[in-house]
Amino acid sequence: MSEPVTRRDLLHQVVRGGVLATFGGGAIFLVQKAHGQVVWQVDASRCINSRLGDTGAEACKLCTTECVVALSAVRAVNEYSKCGRCNICPAYFNITSAVDAQGLPSEKLCPRDAIARKPIGKADPEDPANNFYEYSIDEEKCDGCGKCVMKCKEPLGLGSIVLRVRYDKCEDCNRCAISRACPKDALIQVPVEQALRPPELHPRTE
Amino acid sequence: MTYRQIRVIGGKGNAPGQFATSLRCLAVDAHGQLFAGGDSEIKLFDAAGRLKRRWSTSRPVLSLAVAGDGAVYAGQPGQIEIFDGAAKLVNTWRGETLLGRVTAIGFVKDGVLAGDAADRAIRHFDRTGKFRNHIGKHNPVNGFLIPNGVVDFAVDAQGVIHAANPGKHRVERYLPTGELLGHIGRFHGTDPAGFGGCCNPTNVAVRDHIYVTEKAGPRAKVYDFNGNLQAVVASAPFDPNCKNMSVAVDGRGLVYVADTVKLAVFVFEPVTV
Repeated sequence: MSEPVTRRDLLHQVVRGGVLATFGGGAIFLVQKAHGQVVWQVDASRCINSRLGDTGAEACKLCTTECVVALSAVRAVNEYSKCGRCNICPAYFNITSAVDAQGLPSEKLCPRDAIARKPIGKADPEDPANNFYEYSIDEEKCDGCGKCVMKCKEPLGLGSIVLRVRYDKCEDCNRCAISRACPKDALIQVPVEQALRPPELHPRTE
Repeated sequence: MTYRQIRVIGGKGNAPGQFATSLRCLAVDAHGQLFAGGDSEIKLFDAAGRLKRRWSTSRPVLSLAVAGDGAVYAGQPGQIEIFDGAAKLVNTWRGETLLGRVTAIGFVKDGVLAGDAADRAIRHFDRTGKFRNHIGKHNPVNGFLIPNGVVDFAVDAQGVIHAANPGKHRVERYLPTGELLGHIGRFHGTDPAGFGGCCNPTNVAVRDHIYVTEKAGPRAKVYDFNGNLQAVVASAPFDPNCKNMSVAVDGRGLVYVADTVKLAVFVFEPVTV
């Protein structure tokens, strides 16, 4: 006979499910950590690539260059619920590149081609621009350079792409090399319970 | 054609003529008076930019329009409040389904149009508020693509609706019955004649030309009805983090643009060389 499921167990399952959906495979590493343990986290409100007010600035690449993990343990993540699913996504395309015969920018933004897109919904063959697209980031290709994050943020985009520490890759260094290099102190240590909460995105301008 | 800035109205602050937290919408009447909505309040400025009157609305104002009889229509979340020329509330149209988030209002011969950003459509009502039809809701597939969160449109002297469809980088023309007549505009990341970024233009006004605003980088531009760029009105004075900048044009050709970060209305006049 199976044990009755308590409300607390149910809540745990819901939280774990939500975390898995949010953090992907890295979540399992997070939920295995002990209560009270601290983990590194990117504070989007401090990160140059995602905080408001840094429009036009070059993307900061310190998460890529400083991390001791190959390719970096910090990767870009697209929060689908926030994504505008734009035809011309400034994080996917280099929007100032030459326009091709289809009326789209001819170059992609990501230097590692880590972002893929597919049309969703009904496409109108006579009006190809009239569609939504789902954008997904290949974590194995992404090196956390932040270019897409910088272009996705308000007001150019909706800020759905942010940098996150991938807990399945992070070495948990006591003195994180990125945190020491980050000029904005955007790499912070938080209790694992806090890291398990759905991340807060920066506020919109309106 | 070129433009020069002649005035700044409002600004961020708590003075009667300023805006404390938001400036979302503009409208001009036949006398060149400017109506500006923000902070759950409507402010009326005379043709010289002096504050004449201000009054509260029950919810945050998202859009404004002035009817031929002087009535002021204020679009809000879930409703439209209608004030007479003396700022007295005379009617409220409520409807969470048809008026989810009213970000634009306009008038056709015998009807009232409301842009509902919550449902990405324009609603057509008769003058009593009775619903007639949707415009642009599924035309032809997916309707308005508005990642910026605003449906905006303007009506020309012939009663044709010019609606911004930013996700498609177009201004589309519709009849009040919902029929799509055509569009102007195309994407281009560097040519000022095109609309840049993910989703532009965000806002539109119509008089002798089509006036639009864009975000990231913010700018105001003028097109003829064939879609040919006539002028870039301005880009420099606007805060780079602006978006959804309401635009209005009066009978003198003055262009009013709302800076949603500086909470100021920039006024530009055409310069004939």
